Amino acid sequence: MKRTLLRGFYTAALLLTSTFAFTSCDETEDVSPDINNSKVRGLYDQKGVFILNEGNFGTPNGSISFLSDSTGHQVKNNIFSTANEQRPLGDVVQSMVLHDTLAYIVANNSNKIEVVHAFTFKTIAVIEGLKQPRFFAALDGNKGYVTEWVAYGSTGRVSVIDLKTNAVLKTITVGEMPEQLLIVNGKLYVTNSGGNTISVINTTTDAVASTVPTADGPSELVQGKDQYIWVLSAGKVVYKDDWSGIDYTKTTPGSLSKLNTATSAIDATFTFPGNQSIPKNLTINGLGDKLYFNYENKTFMQPVTAGGLSNTVIINRGFYGMEADPETGNIFGSDNNNFSGDGTVFIYNSDGVKLKEFKAGIGPNGFVFN
Amino acid sequence: MLAIVALPALAQQDTAAYQLRSVEVFGKPAEVYAAGSRVTTIDSAYRQTYNSSSLADALQARTPVYFKSYGVSGLSSVSFRGTNASQTVVLWNGLNIGLPTLGQSDFSTLPLSGFGDIAVQSGSAGAAYGSGAIGGAVLLSSPNYNGKGFGLELQQEAGSFGRYFSNGNINYSSGKLQLGLGAYLRNAENDFTYKDLSRFGKPKRTEEHAAQKQYGFTQNLNWQLAANTKIGLHGWYTFADRELQPAMGSASGAEQLDKNLRLMTQLEHESDWGKTDVKLAYFKDFLNYTNSSLNSVADVQTYQLQTEQTYTKGENWSLRGGVNLQHFIAENDGYAGTKQENRAAVFALFRYDPTETLDLSLNLRQAFVEDYNPAPTPALGFNWKFYQHEQHQLFLKGNVSGSYRVPTLNDRFWTGAGNPDLKPEQGWSEEAGLRHLFIVGNTLLLETEATAYHMLIDDWIQWAPNPTGLWRPVNLQKVRAMGIELSHQLTATIGNLKLTGSAGYTYTSSEQVEVYEGQGDKGNQLMYVPLHKGVLATGINYKNWQLHTDLNYTGERYTTNSETSHLDSFILVNVALSKQLQFRKSRLVVAFRSDNITNEVYLTMAYHAMPLRGYTLSLRFLIP
Repeated sequence: MKRTLLRGFYTAALLLTSTFAFTSCDETEDVSPDINNSKVRGLYDQKGVFILNEGNFGTPNGSISFLSDSTGHQVKNNIFSTANEQRPLGDVVQSMVLHDTLAYIVANNSNKIEVVHAFTFKTIAVIEGLKQPRFFAALDGNKGYVTEWVAYGSTGRVSVIDLKTNAVLKTITVGEMPEQLLIVNGKLYVTNSGGNTISVINTTTDAVASTVPTADGPSELVQGKDQYIWVLSAGKVVYKDDWSGIDYTKTTPGSLSKLNTATSAIDATFTFPGNQSIPKNLTINGLGDKLYFNYENKTFMQPVTAGGLSNTVIINRGFYGMEADPETGNIFGSDNNNFSGDGTVFIYNSDGVKLKEFKAGIGPNGFVFN
Repeated sequence: MLAIVALPALAQQDTAAYQLRSVEVFGKPAEVYAAGSRVTTIDSAYRQTYNSSSLADALQARTPVYFKSYGVSGLSSVSFRGTNASQTVVLWNGLNIGLPTLGQSDFSTLPLSGFGDIAVQSGSAGAAYGSGAIGGAVLLSSPNYNGKGFGLELQQEAGSFGRYFSNGNINYSSGKLQLGLGAYLRNAENDFTYKDLSRFGKPKRTEEHAAQKQYGFTQNLNWQLAANTKIGLHGWYTFADRELQPAMGSASGAEQLDKNLRLMTQLEHESDWGKTDVKLAYFKDFLNYTNSSLNSVADVQTYQLQTEQTYTKGENWSLRGGVNLQHFIAENDGYAGTKQENRAAVFALFRYDPTETLDLSLNLRQAFVEDYNPAPTPALGFNWKFYQHEQHQLFLKGNVSGSYRVPTLNDRFWTGAGNPDLKPEQGWSEEAGLRHLFIVGNTLLLETEATAYHMLIDDWIQWAPNPTGLWRPVNLQKVRAMGIELSHQLTATIGNLKLTGSAGYTYTSSEQVEVYEGQGDKGNQLMYVPLHKGVLATGINYKNWQLHTDLNYTGERYTTNSETSHLDSFILVNVALSKQLQFRKSRLVVAFRSDNITNEVYLTMAYHAMPLRGYTLSLRFLIP
C-alpha cells in the first residue's frame, strides 16, 4: 500500500509538473586527453568523474557527463549520446559501474543495462529483459549481478549475467525492492530495502546462503578497510490508518550498521535520533576512515571508529546524490532542480569548503570516479 | 485568432447540423463582456471535415495554442500564450469542466463532434470564467437546432493505422421543443511505424502500445415553456480506454481509463428585470491509471450552480451579475478518505457602448475558497472603431485583466502534501491590438489583426521536494509571458467559386523572472513553449467540391527549462477533398483526406513517436 501510494504520488507529481524532457547533443568543450600518450584508449581514458543524470521518469533522457581532473576543462555532457550517434541513453539512469575496460550503465525504467567501452562510451552490448533494474556489480570478467525490483510490492530478484555473452544465466529470488549490492570475499550482499534483511549469496553456487536481519529499509552499502560493510537503512515509513499523513508513532527511524563479513552478522547499529528525516547517500573516503551521509538536509562526517552517530556537520545542506572522491577526499553533491531543467553539481573539499559548482544534466544522482 | 469567423453573410453552406448562435445585440455570447479580447471560433468547414479528431488535434492545427501530446494515445496538455496546462480553462455551456484533482483538462479525450460552437478566448479571462483562465479559455457550447422537423446525420470513417470512427446524430425541432441525440465511437489501433531513436541504427518499429477506444453520447433538450421561459437539459458522456504510448526506450504497459459524465439543466427566463439564467450541473469524473506496479483511481463528483441576472438597456449597455457555487466530493488513492470542498464566486460583468464605434467592458470577480482566498479579479477592455471609409474599417482594441488559479484538490488534499501556506496563482495581463476589416458586399471579406500582449504570473504553483524530501506544492516562481499574434483571414466568393484562407503567426516568449532560492532557470524560455508557431489554412469550394488544406508550422521547443535540449521544428500538412452528392433533400458527403501528407517526422513531446502519412475515407449522410 505504501508503495502504491508513493508511486501514485510520483505519477501525480509527474503529471503535475510535467517535467519530462529530452536530451540532445548540445556540445560543451571537448575533453582532450594527452593524445601523444600511446596508452590512451579513448576520450575518457583519463582521470575525472562521471556524473550520472537520471533524467525524467517516463522519458529516455538520462545521460552521463564527464568532468576531467585536468585543469582548464569544463564538464562535458551527454557523452553517451555523443558517442552513439545521438541515441538517448535511457529512462532513469540509476547507476553505473566501471569494470576493467567496460562500463555497465543501469537504466531503470528502460529495463536494460547498456554495456559500453569505458574509454569511448560506445555501446558494446545491451542487456535487456530486466525488470526495474537498480544496481550492478561484477564478480570478475565472467559474471555480474544486477538487483531488480521486478514490481512494487512483489519479491525482488538478482539476475546473474554472463559477462562474456551478456545473457542472463539465472535469477535468484531475494527480498522486496533489492537495492545496492556488494561483493566481498566471494560473497554477494544484497540489501532488501522493502524489508529488513540483507541476502548473502554464494557467488560459486549463485544461491542465497543466508539472510541477515537488519534494521528497517537497508538500502546502501559501502565497504570499509577492515572486514566491515557499512549499511545505511532508511527506516520504514508507516501511514496513518486514514491515510491522512505519515504516522510518526509507527514510522521507524533510519540507522547505520556495521556488518561483519567474517560472521555475516550485524555487530553494531546506530539508530538516528528522529524518524522525520530519512538518512541517505552513504559514502566513504579513499582512506576508509571517514563516512559521509545526508540527514535532516545536512551532510555529516562520521569517523569509522566512532562508537555512535556523529554530530559533525561538514556541509550545511543535503544532496540529491552524493559521493566522496576516493583519491582526493573531495565530496561531490548534486541538486536536481526539480527535474525541470539541468541539475547542479557541487564539489567540496573534505573540510566542507565549496570548491566549484556547475550545471550537469537532468537530475544528477550519482558520481563514478575514473 | 486563426479560425475563420463565419459571418452571417458568408456562413458556411453546410448548416444543417450545427450553426453558430444567432448574433445577439453585442455580438456572440462569448464576446459580449470581452471587449478588446480575441475570441475566435473553429470554423464549421474544418469541424465537419475533421470531426473524428480530438479537440487537441483541432486546436493544434487551427490556433496558436501548443499541445504536447504523449504520443497519439496519451495525455494532451495545452500551453496557451506561454502558460502551462492548468492555466487554460475549458468551459461547457459556461461551466468549468477541468478535472478538479489536477486542475486541467486532457484535450485528447474531448471530441470535436457534438458541440454547437467552439470558441477560444485568448488571454486572461479570470473575471469572466474564474479560476485557471490565465492563458486563455476554450468555450464549448451545446448545439442549437434551428428550423423545424427532423435532422439526421450518419457518418462512417475508416483510416490508416486501424482507425475507425462512427458518428450519428438525430434531432427534432418543433417551434417549442428541440431535441438532439448524438453518439460516436472511435477505435484506433494506432499501429503506425516509426524510427526508434533509442535503439542501434534507429530501426523501424511498429507501435504496439497506443490502441484506444473512445465513445461518447450527447443529449440536448431545449423546451420553450412559455414565451419568456425556456429550459434546457444537456447530457454529455465520454469514455476513453487507452493504452498509453510509452516514450521510445521506456518501459511500456501503462493504461488509462477515463469516464466523464456531465449533466446540466438550465432555466432561462425573461422579465422586466432582464434575463435570469440558472444553471445546475452534476459532473462525475473517473480516472483509473494502471501500470505494472500501480492501480490508481480518482473519482470526483462536482455539483455546480450558477445563476446570472442580465439587464440590457437598448443597445447601449448590459449588466450581468452572478454567483457560482461549486461543491466537490473527491476520492483519490492519494487522499486520506473522501474529501469535500466548497468554492464560491460572485461576479459582475458590464458592457457599455457609449457610441456606435466604441465598446467597453468592465468585469469583476471575487472567488471564495477555503484557506486560499484569491484577490479580486478585474478586467477592463475596449474596442474602438476609429476609422471607416468605404470598404475599410479599422479597430483599436485592448484590455487589462487579472486572473487567478486556486490550488487544485491534489494541491490541497494529497496525503502529507497539502500546504496551508500556498497562495493562489495571480496573473496580470495587458494586450493591445489593431484590426482591419475590408468588406466588399457579400463577395469579399478580408480581416487582419495584430495583437501584442504582456503577462505576469506570480506564485506559480509547482511541486517540489522540501528539505526533508517530501514533495509538496509551493509557490515557486514568477513567469513573464510576452508575445505577438498576427492573423489574416480571407473569404471571397467569385461566381460558383468560394475561397477561404487564413494565416496566423504567433511569437511567444515565456520565461521565469523570479525563482526560488537559487533553483530554477531564470531568464530561459520555458520548456515546451514554441517561440514561433504559424498556421495556414485554405479552402476552395466549387459547386459540390471542397478542397481543404491545413499547414501548421511549430518552431523549436526546449524540452527542459535550461534550454539545453530541444525538439526540432516541424511542418505538418493535412489535405482533405470532399464532394457532396444531393439526393432530393438529403445529402451524402464523401471525403478523402490525408494527414501529414508530406511524411514529416515530428514530435510534440520528447521521444513520443507520432505517425507519418495517413489516409482516411469518410462517408457522411445528412437529412435534410
